[in-house]
Amino acid sequence: MIRFTFALVLLIFFASIIQRYIPPIIWVKGSAILIAPALLFYGCLTLPFPSVLGLTFFTGLINDLLTVPFAPESNYAIGTSIVLLLIPAMIMHGFSSTFLRGQWATNLLLAELAAVLTPFLLLGQYAIISFERRAFFYNDVIMWRILGPGVIAIVISPCVFLVLAYLSDLLRYEPQLEQRPRIERPRLG
Amino acid sequence: MRGTSIAALITFVVLVAIVLITPAGCKQQWQATFLNTVAPLFHATSAVTQGIGGVSGGFKKLDELEKENRDLKAENAELRTSNSLLKNLESEVNRLNRALGYRERSPFNLLPARVISRENAAWWNSCTIDRGSADGVGIDMAVVTEAGLVGKIVNVGKNASTVLLVSDEGLKVSVSIEGTQEQGIISGTRASSNYAPDLRIGFISKTAEIKPGMKVFTSGTGGVFPSGVLVGTVKGFAIKELEGVATVEPAVDLTRVQDVFVITGVR
Repeated sequence: MIRFTFALVLLIFFASIIQRYIPPIIWVKGSAILIAPALLFYGCLTLPFPSVLGLTFFTGLINDLLTVPFAPESNYAIGTSIVLLLIPAMIMHGFSSTFLRGQWATNLLLAELAAVLTPFLLLGQYAIISFERRAFFYNDVIMWRILGPGVIAIVISPCVFLVLAYLSDLLRYEPQLEQRPRIERPRLG
Repeated sequence: MRGTSIAALITFVVLVAIVLITPAGCKQQWQATFLNTVAPLFHATSAVTQGIGGVSGGFKKLDELEKENRDLKAENAELRTSNSLLKNLESEVNRLNRALGYRERSPFNLLPARVISRENAAWWNSCTIDRGSADGVGIDMAVVTEAGLVGKIVNVGKNASTVLLVSDEGLKVSVSIEGTQEQGIISGTRASSNYAPDLRIGFISKTAEIKPGMKVFTSGTGGVFPSGVLVGTVKGFAIKELEGVATVEPAVDLTRVQDVFVITGVR
């Protein structure tokens, strides 16, 4: 597990850097291609809860250090993305038992769920900036800037999941279902 | 919830709280340290992406040649290729000559720098240059090209710095419009349908006579940007309920800018 978690940390780090060099897609109004969220969400499905928290912390912090210009003008505190990413990460982690028991079709659906959750960070950032700058406006470009990475992730997420499944095999990591404590029901009568 | 999970959750909450409540100066130091760490990666990736661009350009050229002259001899193809390489070299020399000419003419002390990474974030427009504190770069220094204003330095590492571009919504620059008494604050837009977003000057008098084609210069108010640096050209002027709003096309193509100068002082 440690090797796989470490591999994910490295992959998220390099994906966050490589994302900077992938030009925005013009036909979806300049939407960015995001790979790091798909990597994080796969980790959420396969790693135990403490590692999921660690991975979310790392991904959020790296994202902010790389993308948010440190200036009062950015109107966004470094570290906020950790909190924003925690919500989709926990949603994905909630499906971990479904993922580990599931067949390929279920796993494909969960990869698509990861794509649907990809824009969450951008939506949160947009809401915070709008609030801080007291300037809320909305047009089709903003819609595409938020939803576009999710649309692109519909294609990317299953590929990332497939590659990571091979990687976990390669590193001999077999995700285990977490043991949940049994609740003793009081006997009636 | 098991003991380890509770401990992990408490650790997570404490760490997030530490990150969020850390003073701004300390966070700036973190980002500068992080920039120092990743700067070699930016340098390497930038070199690789430029290389890939060059190779794909070469293939395209060969493809076109194949279509036009299927029976062209090998030596002829070689000559054409070398010719195209020389042309690329010539345009590079011209570009650098223009930059050098600007540097010599300019009343400012200019430090040449190269863009090594362009930010791809949805809501912020910034880029990273290959000069840092070791070269004398400091926070709030203006960044320009021979064409006009690029932005200002917001974070400085030892060998790299982050530039907040003039197209960012958060960066406000005091400007004056050529041929008028009008002054205003120019800023970028959060999201534009155009990949190279236009700028916007708000709070202009409704009766101002502003026409497309007028030049917009920094006014020097505020102390960050020196006066007289070209920011862009007026594209349009609209009268809103309370104010006039001018749309400005940036003088510098911020999506393609490669070589920039950091203004380190006045001569």
